[in-house]
Amino acid sequence: MMDAIRDAWTDRLSEYVDGELDAAERGALDVHLQLCENCSATVEELRAVLERARALEARAPETDLWPAIEARIAPARKARVLDPGGWLGRRSGRPAGSDTGRARRWSFTFPQLAAAAALLVMLSSVTMWVALSRRPVAGPPLPGPSATTTAAALVQPAGFAAARYDAAIADLERVLKEHRSELDPATVRIIEQNLLIIDQATAQSRKALAADPANRYLNGHLAAQLMRKISLLRQATAIVAAHG
Amino acid sequence: MATDLQDAALAAAGDTHAFERLYRAHVARIHGLVRRMLGSDEATEVTQDVFVRAWQKIGTFRGEAAFGTWLHRLAVNVALTRRAELGTRRNRFIAAEQVLESLPARPGARDLGLDFEAAIARLPEGARHIFVLHDVEGYRHEEIAALLGVTSGTTKAQLHRARMLLRSRLGAR
Repeated sequence: MMDAIRDAWTDRLSEYVDGELDAAERGALDVHLQLCENCSATVEELRAVLERARALEARAPETDLWPAIEARIAPARKARVLDPGGWLGRRSGRPAGSDTGRARRWSFTFPQLAAAAALLVMLSSVTMWVALSRRPVAGPPLPGPSATTTAAALVQPAGFAAARYDAAIADLERVLKEHRSELDPATVRIIEQNLLIIDQATAQSRKALAADPANRYLNGHLAAQLMRKISLLRQATAIVAAHG
Repeated sequence: MATDLQDAALAAAGDTHAFERLYRAHVARIHGLVRRMLGSDEATEVTQDVFVRAWQKIGTFRGEAAFGTWLHRLAVNVALTRRAELGTRRNRFIAAEQVLESLPARPGARDLGLDFEAAIARLPEGARHIFVLHDVEGYRHEEIAALLGVTSGTTKAQLHRARMLLRSRLGAR
């Protein structure tokens, strides 16, 4: 038997500790705790448990798991460009990576396409507005490894990995260009519209970064735009691959 | 130094070096989560599974939330799936109080954190998952209920049960 004494409040004490009781219940339990030493002690013990839980530290595994993970993902790496299993691919109702099934042409309903385009426009506009509105804010120097490190040196410049992004994008665009005739014209149109939106947002990011290369938010925004473009292209090429 | 978002973009394009950086930045937290939910025996394999799944799914990461948050959610789902698989293979039940009593009290032990971890590991499975997600990882009852397919009333009851068991353990030191 864990508890020598239990009463009507015993099972509500965790909710009390978590602040989840309503005002009336909390008031009543506050009064009860003034009178009941057992419940009062239990509350303190529960708080101690919670404190211990929150203080637990993350511990890395005793052995490095990366070599095993790398070995498992390496075979998929080469196929990744043409087989991402992304949102366009899932529209097919076929599992990611499936190479079975009869080729078919792809199309989307107008509301689906309009919603996707509108979402991209909204996201791009909002994030750029937020980024630009934050630019003039002056703050304390960024923390760094040494006193001589400048803030600009701590932040990736706009072209942090431009060559790698550009290479991936070029490969995907080439595949899409070679096979675009296999796609439904409506699908091609919406892909190109979305790519245009992403390119416009990317251009805005690059322009803003030219004036403020150390802006972390703008760098992140640029990376997000490039990632969206890569993701969209990968999914488009996945459709091509599924038809091949 | 690249940010998680930048590394996620590169990984989505097939850059395993970027993905390795993400692994090294997040493996401790993910391994801790998995170990506490499933136990040490499963932790290594399931942690690998989490990162392999993340590699496969990284194209779906849009950057709306922090990468760590996205990865953590994915890890919880992988762990819960493994739990279901294990549940079909395991056919044992050990009363929680008996298990806790069987733990060495280790009075004066220097590493009380490990002692507490051992007590968590021996909680009943359902209560342990909820305790780890709520008290260690900071999930809300509504989120846990959705993940586990139960009501928030159940998660509250199980959380209280876990805390009471651990409280008795702490009191025994």
